[in-house]
Amino acid sequence: MLKSKTFVKKTRSGGVMKIVREHYLRDDIWCGTEGCVECKQEETVLQKDVHIESNLCSFPHYLLPDTNVVLSQIDILEDPLIKNVIILQTVLQEVRHRSAPIYKRLKDILHDKEKHFYTFTNEHHRDTFIEREPGESANDRNDRAIRVSAKWYSDHLKKALSEEEIQIVLLTNDRGNKEKAVESGLLTYKCEEYVKSLIANPELVDRLALTDDDKNEITSSKVLFPEHLPLSRIQAGIKSGAFQQGTFRASRDNYLEATVFVHGEGDQSTEVLIQGLQNLNRSVHQDLVAVEILPQNQWVAPSSVVLQDEGPKEDDATEEVEAEKTLKSAAGGAESRKPTGRVVGIIKRNWRPFCGMLFLSQIKEATRHLFTPADRRIPRIRVETRQAATLAGQRIMVAIDGWPKHSRYPNGHFVRSLGCAGDKDTETEVLLLEHDVPHQDFSQTVLSFLPKMPWSITEEDMAVREDLRHLTVCSVDPPGCTDIDDALHCRDLPNGNQEVGVHIADVSHFIRPGNALDQEAANRGTTVYLTGKRIDMVPELLSSNLCSLRCNVERLAFSCIWEINDKAEIVKTRFTKSVINSKASLTYAEAQMRIDDTNMNDEITKSLRGLNSLAKILKRQRIEKGALTLSSPEVRFHIDSETHDPIDLQTKELKETNSMVEEFMLLANISVAQKIYDEFSECALLRKHPAPPPSNYDILNTAAKSKDLVIHTDTAKALADSLDAAQVDGFPYFNTLLRILATRCMMQAVYFCSGMDSDFHHYGLASPIYTHFTSPIRRYSDIIVHRLLAVAIGADSTYPDLMDKHKQSALCNNLNYRHKMAQYAQRASVAFHTQLFFKNRGIMNEEGFILFVRKNAIIILIPKFGMEGTVFFENKNKPSPKLTFNQEATTLTVEGHTFNMFDKVKVTISLDASNIQHQKIRMSLVEPVILGVSVAPSEDNQPKAKKAKLDG
Amino acid sequence: MATVQISEAEKVYILHGVRDDLRVDGRGCEDYRHMEVETDMVSNTDGSAKVSLGHTDVLVGVKAEIGKPRPVARDEGYLEFFVDCSANATPEFEGRGGDELGVELSNTLYKVFGNRSSLDLKSLCISPGEHCWVLYVDVLLLQCDGNLFDAISVAIKAALFNTKIPKVHLSEDEQGGKEIELSDDPYDCMRLNVENVPCVVTLCKVGHRHVVDATMQEKACSVASLIISVTHKGTITCVRKVGGGSLDPESIFEMTETGKRVGKALHAPLMELLHKEESLGKKRDKVGFLG
Repeated sequence: MLKSKTFVKKTRSGGVMKIVREHYLRDDIWCGTEGCVECKQEETVLQKDVHIESNLCSFPHYLLPDTNVVLSQIDILEDPLIKNVIILQTVLQEVRHRSAPIYKRLKDILHDKEKHFYTFTNEHHRDTFIEREPGESANDRNDRAIRVSAKWYSDHLKKALSEEEIQIVLLTNDRGNKEKAVESGLLTYKCEEYVKSLIANPELVDRLALTDDDKNEITSSKVLFPEHLPLSRIQAGIKSGAFQQGTFRASRDNYLEATVFVHGEGDQSTEVLIQGLQNLNRSVHQDLVAVEILPQNQWVAPSSVVLQDEGPKEDDATEEVEAEKTLKSAAGGAESRKPTGRVVGIIKRNWRPFCGMLFLSQIKEATRHLFTPADRRIPRIRVETRQAATLAGQRIMVAIDGWPKHSRYPNGHFVRSLGCAGDKDTETEVLLLEHDVPHQDFSQTVLSFLPKMPWSITEEDMAVREDLRHLTVCSVDPPGCTDIDDALHCRDLPNGNQEVGVHIADVSHFIRPGNALDQEAANRGTTVYLTGKRIDMVPELLSSNLCSLRCNVERLAFSCIWEINDKAEIVKTRFTKSVINSKASLTYAEAQMRIDDTNMNDEITKSLRGLNSLAKILKRQRIEKGALTLSSPEVRFHIDSETHDPIDLQTKELKETNSMVEEFMLLANISVAQKIYDEFSECALLRKHPAPPPSNYDILNTAAKSKDLVIHTDTAKALADSLDAAQVDGFPYFNTLLRILATRCMMQAVYFCSGMDSDFHHYGLASPIYTHFTSPIRRYSDIIVHRLLAVAIGADSTYPDLMDKHKQSALCNNLNYRHKMAQYAQRASVAFHTQLFFKNRGIMNEEGFILFVRKNAIIILIPKFGMEGTVFFENKNKPSPKLTFNQEATTLTVEGHTFNMFDKVKVTISLDASNIQHQKIRMSLVEPVILGVSVAPSEDNQPKAKKAKLDG
Repeated sequence: MATVQISEAEKVYILHGVRDDLRVDGRGCEDYRHMEVETDMVSNTDGSAKVSLGHTDVLVGVKAEIGKPRPVARDEGYLEFFVDCSANATPEFEGRGGDELGVELSNTLYKVFGNRSSLDLKSLCISPGEHCWVLYVDVLLLQCDGNLFDAISVAIKAALFNTKIPKVHLSEDEQGGKEIELSDDPYDCMRLNVENVPCVVTLCKVGHRHVVDATMQEKACSVASLIISVTHKGTITCVRKVGGGSLDPESIFEMTETGKRVGKALHAPLMELLHKEESLGKKRDKVGFLG
């Protein structure tokens, strides 16, 4: 039967269009119930035996939720307990329209065979389709459609099921809808009523989202925040230029401050500062908000105060006012003022479930508690739970339900528990979730695209590949590396030149474009290395076996082979797909030993020596061109093989061989970048490192000035030279500190598509063009580069997405995002293991250097652990010492002692476990001794003045 | 226009018949052929009607779009006419063959309908000088069997009656920027008052008399005809002479008198029919094109 759906729509140009869609009704849509005698269905979803014990409905029943129940209580529906649910098409469509993330979660539930969720296409069923009546709103029509379908189901099940009687329970939170449903004889409950009635599952109640009815009781009536503007006014305001639209970014250090990043045309993006609780107006990190810029006389400077939201405040604004006062007084001079604004409305919330811990209420038996997210940029969330005692000390996930204007904190509900806090697995899970790292096991679909084992190189492979098995190829990697993606060789040619080959694992041979494996890898973007754990981008069979260029096995490779003369100039470059057989898998230390050991003269060693001498020349040439050598403190943990606890920490040592391998990887990357750009000028995937804007160097300049040095930052070359020249007598670590600072001035290197950008320069490497080619096992960008290169040399065929610069650009965005997140996750993992280390060690006294000076704190770097910490000079419980901050010279005077950047200080380091929410490393000042500020050094630890080692 | 060839004998037969008020198909001189009207035929228009008169078949669709008012009438909307002479109607229209007729017809339609006395054009205005509704009246000739004007005019009146314009209102923000907002309810729409919309009566001079609703054969016997648009009150709003021959003042007077009488009689049953159809609402079985 044919019906047509008619609706009018506003077009972009402001006109009005009438749209008519054909709508077909069918009578072959089945009910999906097991044991139904009327429907001729082949597969059933809803079970015949329904067990769910509820003291409201003691009979077998199916649930039929309406749209609002799905939208607000998706966490309940996700619980394994809830099974046999009918999701109407009307509901599904509305959910899709209203919230994409919830729609995705609902789709996932629907696909889960265990959950027995059935989608009933009521909109196309002859008996359940209804047309909108005159005077009926779209919502009323949908509610009616849900009621009609529920009625149809109850009647249908009565007829169709012979023995057992299964009833339909309609779940709705809408009072009007409920009344009408009861009128038409349907069994209807509010979601809360139903969930509370479930016997033996009290914990489910905690996962209930708070709905409007409950909100009134939970908060006082005092209005704390200005009302958000409705979307229509926001849109009008943005159109007229009164408001700006941007992403809200809360400050990590100061809960009363945030910036809104306003996306402008081209480079015209600006940042708007938001200060104070009222102006922040219930925005949460990453929300899309509308801001109104305040008049210029109300602009303020970003404060350099570190403020943390301590303890629960029951909607009490007084403390905030005080805190804000501190903020105001702390604001600097007029010259540092920035455009300041206030949030007038939220365009789109970007809420996700947040990891964190419960902060138990002081009142015993209270059910409302505050939840502290792990991410400091997220405000605390008020949750209601009856199992607080169990959840205390556990890492849990909480979702925000809403933030009413009279509540100091947003309201949320418990989603799930991740495990005990401090537990290694739990913490790892938390940091993976917090950094949005996809870390689930690979799905069966993905695994199905793996090659079948036992795998071997076939005749066809050999036919199209160059046989390089005879070459003395070896790999040099860090110890314990199982995903070896590069190997090298070097041999003398008859003409006196040398032939150098870089052989990269041929991952693109195994991962074919477009299949599930490829999509998964593209989504993951990169392998994430955490301390003691690796989250693979591709399944282990590939990463650690078939693609890994292990020694003494034949492996497929993509080779880049140069002929290089003794001045390390490239005479000839060629690329080929090949088969290699690595002769040795060495560690950096092993390779270094071979080079240094004059007694060894085998093929491998000779090859290594040849590479090493060429690498030295290459490095020198590169530095002459202005490549930067920067520094960042990196540490490695020695992990106990059984408990997996860190037992020692050591800063990474760089050997000559590290830089040898690095040098050839750079060379290969540059050669490949040039080749793919020549071949595909519109769609080559390249990597660039933009030169930082001059203002980025401010901190470096002031720092250098404090030691009477001048750093030239005009060009990379000038910077490199002046960094080399910057030495202070008797302070050998100064140069490293300066380089650490310089690193922080840099921009992020990013992937981009050559057709979408014109600036290709790589600032740090001083190369006009660069890409990533050498690590396809752990980076997806390299896989794309492999594919491009393979097409360029005619070794593989192309596919449409590879040549589409817009798709490539979108891919680059994802890769950049994943890389950034992977880095953060890595840092977080190191930080966590540092904590574990100090937990085991107790309190230690260490020497450190002041890296930054803030208004009320100094940030200290401990070179030994490559760790940073903050020493606060203000304490809630103690009177603050006298602080004078000098913005110009960046110095802080505390009770007569002036702290300069780079000052050497001595601190005690301990794990602050008093606040279980955020275990953190606490540093307190030991030296210089300032009365009332510094503390006595801890005695139970032997002093460790390993200064000599640090300086080396 | 589509024409037929007839012999002298046939001509004489028709002429004699008309003289005696008995036409070939048995009608009197002031009788119309059997007429069928159906509205709401095309779902993606805002109003539509199909009229068949004898074998003449026309379809009219009205689309309402938002446009800018004309500078001379800043507070009025306006109508646009387009007549498509499809080759379905007669093979003569093939290619560009129907263009001339189409232009001629639409020019006449502008004169007859596109003025403020036939339709309240002010009601089509959304905001003076900025936005107004433009009604695009598209006429499609499906089959030609004489008397196109009358059939088209009846179809246009029925289609305008059927037209449902979505209700819009202007929202104004503080800056004075105006935004058109659309009602969310598809049933919330504006109807046109078609009371004063005239109908066209074409009178064909055959011999010494004149006939209404001439067939192709009768037309072939006529030297000139008069197109008269008449409102339900009998007011003549437009008169046009077509055809090669000339008409003496006396017969023009006679013909306008007939036109008034016939036209007045045409409106009442048409409106009655339209209201009756409207009241059936969704329950009405649509006849459509195959009925």
